[in-house]
Amino acid sequence: MAIVNLKEKVIQIKIVYYGPGRSGKTTNLEYIFNRLQSQKEQNTSKLVSIDTKGDRTLFFDFFPVNLGKINGFDLKLQLYTTPGQVKYESTRRLVLKGVDGIVFVADSLSSRQDANIDSFENLKNNLSYHNISLSDVKMIFQWNKRDLQEQNIPLTDIEQMETSLNSELQTQSFPASAVSGTNVFKTVNYIAKQTVEKVIDMSVVNQKQRPN
Amino acid sequence: MTSIIDEEYAERIEEVLREFLAESGATYVLLTDMGGNLLFKMGEENFDSDTLAVLSAANYAATNEIANLINEDAFSLLFHRGNNENIHFAKLTSDILMIVLFKPYLSLGLLRLKIENVQNEITSLIRE
Repeated sequence: MAIVNLKEKVIQIKIVYYGPGRSGKTTNLEYIFNRLQSQKEQNTSKLVSIDTKGDRTLFFDFFPVNLGKINGFDLKLQLYTTPGQVKYESTRRLVLKGVDGIVFVADSLSSRQDANIDSFENLKNNLSYHNISLSDVKMIFQWNKRDLQEQNIPLTDIEQMETSLNSELQTQSFPASAVSGTNVFKTVNYIAKQTVEKVIDMSVVNQKQRPN
Repeated sequence: MTSIIDEEYAERIEEVLREFLAESGATYVLLTDMGGNLLFKMGEENFDSDTLAVLSAANYAATNEIANLINEDAFSLLFHRGNNENIHFAKLTSDILMIVLFKPYLSLGLLRLKIENVQNEITSLIRE
């Protein structure tokens, strides 16, 4: 649930990275965080990771990003990942509370296509737990690990992934490599823009800012 | 869904929180929604308030799940004691959580009474 504070002139938006275990959700966030850290002008908060000793996400990873101003409002993006492993169902569901935008990080490995589909079905179920449907939130797909093609590791064609996951929604998707950073920022920029536009459309920000 | 906090409403809530800090002697107070969006904050701060809001909402939600698991409706007290700072979590409304930081020498019972007053005031503000 986005928050528009007319006194502080702040818009807050929650973006969640969802997908099966080991698909690269945390790697996406780490890449964004490290890049923003290295740019001195961007003042980022700490990346919070609640994970297991074995570096698997237990609850979520999180960090807030200030995206500058829009219509005189400070734009704050809250980036989250969910735990991908099946057993962390209860915590995964909690992270979706109040979500505004979702990046579904799908694993391109041929062996993980069933896991992608299961995770997508699981996402729909967990959204309905919060009385949200896919049409209520902005959502995009990221076909991750495309860099593995160079190492001759069997990957599923993008067209095939589009058919199995994106034929219903027909939303934007990006082939990506979270490890090397390919299309990681493109993904986050796109979902941020889409989500912000939706929030602004639904709020009175435009009216308040419109000159008489 | 989008929640809009207008200026007049924000000022009235901030006034309630300001009074709470003055009367209770607590160090810091923060309101967040259950999704971890920071709504209001007031008091001395030397940490990232956005992260505190997110972790508090997650902590509260996880504790609630534990309560459900063992067939409890909810735990009535959610509180951590530290050496220099204590933290207390209270559900104000179905979607708003209040987090209070206070020094260990303050009485928890008295603080909880003050939090109850804030809860009543904020609930009636929301009803308006």
